[in-house]
Amino acid sequence: MTEPNHNEDWSLHAYADGEIAGSEGRALDERLAEDPEARAKVEAWRRQKAWLKEAFDPVLDEPVPAQIKAALRHRRGFTLSPWAIAAALALLIIGAGAGWFANLQMSAPQAKQFADLAIEAHEIYTHENRHAVEVAASDGDHLTTWLSKRIGQKLVVPDLTARGYTFMGGRLLAAGAQPAAQLMYEDQAKRRITIFVAANQTNKETAFLVTQKDNVTACYWLDGPLGFVIAGETGREDIVSLAHLVYQSFEM
Amino acid sequence: MNFRTDLTAELPYLRRFARALTGDPALADDLVQDCVERALVKSHLYDPTRPLRAWLYTVLRNIHVSGLRRERRAGIVKTVDDLSDPEVMLKPTQEGETLLLQVASALDRLPDQQREVMILVALEDMSYRDVAEITGVPVGTVMSRLSRARGALRELIGEGAKPSLRRVK
Repeated sequence: MTEPNHNEDWSLHAYADGEIAGSEGRALDERLAEDPEARAKVEAWRRQKAWLKEAFDPVLDEPVPAQIKAALRHRRGFTLSPWAIAAALALLIIGAGAGWFANLQMSAPQAKQFADLAIEAHEIYTHENRHAVEVAASDGDHLTTWLSKRIGQKLVVPDLTARGYTFMGGRLLAAGAQPAAQLMYEDQAKRRITIFVAANQTNKETAFLVTQKDNVTACYWLDGPLGFVIAGETGREDIVSLAHLVYQSFEM
Repeated sequence: MNFRTDLTAELPYLRRFARALTGDPALADDLVQDCVERALVKSHLYDPTRPLRAWLYTVLRNIHVSGLRRERRAGIVKTVDDLSDPEVMLKPTQEGETLLLQVASALDRLPDQQREVMILVALEDMSYRDVAEITGVPVGTVMSRLSRARGALRELIGEGAKPSLRRVK
């Protein structure tokens, strides 16, 4: 019984599982009517099927646990595991402009979505000491070329030294289903701010918008082909004036 | 189309599949949670012309299998891999077990590859073609695993008309 029988009648399995229809199915109906042994097999398999359903179907009526619902709401896209990078590469190959991809975008307004993602990424990576950035500022040309290629738009590194912030470097993020760049800056007091940039896949543009989460303030906007978020543990006015600087850098 | 909404609708089915695969409610829900997280991040890899459920089952099944591999590397053996040793395989079910408990415990005693095929075909009503895609093997292999699984379940549970206390000779 445990060894597969080479003379096994596969069509009986397929019949029991509804894989066979039409004239072939009718032929099997007729055969089963005259073959009690085959009929018994099919009935036994169908009984197993019914038992399995009886044993596990009650799960369908259970409420979905909160942890799973939370996983659905919460977006944990910020990793640099190989598949995240593969995802970004796959996107490039498929072409960011492909229409089907746009269909998979979440319906939430993209600007706010970017802001939420950027704040999460800010919180994760600004607390890193040795691995705060993936490519350091010393390798700045390579960094901008690389990230521009991934995002599909020309990126620049805004100069924020006038405001006391030194550029540290940047990294590629998987922002849900699309690549995004994070640029990190630090002032003399080791306070860090981040700029998040991703392709704007809507046709919309927005004004500067401000949001706050925990003690992170973020200013975000959609402008032409790109969406921006600048985030830091600083006040609203500070962030908005930095946002102006970033905005101007990209206007040039 | 909203991927997240569609995914939400599949959660009960993912939970049923995971419960049958693992036999353990807490493990099953961890698996579903991992699956949801991965599906959201990998949503761009989903081909919308294919059924979403089959794709999600593939994601969940792969997480499950890689977990099993980890366990094996760590020397943890949860299921018996070879049915050919009846002494080990066919432990008689406990007296007084209900039929449904028998079904669950018999399923748990199947080798992993047979169990997943059995669940996908008999519980989840997936087509052989979808099962082949989910498990990454040819349809012929799906059918031969299915046949073995059915044979083994028959040995383990019998016909189900009476509590099965069949022992191996």
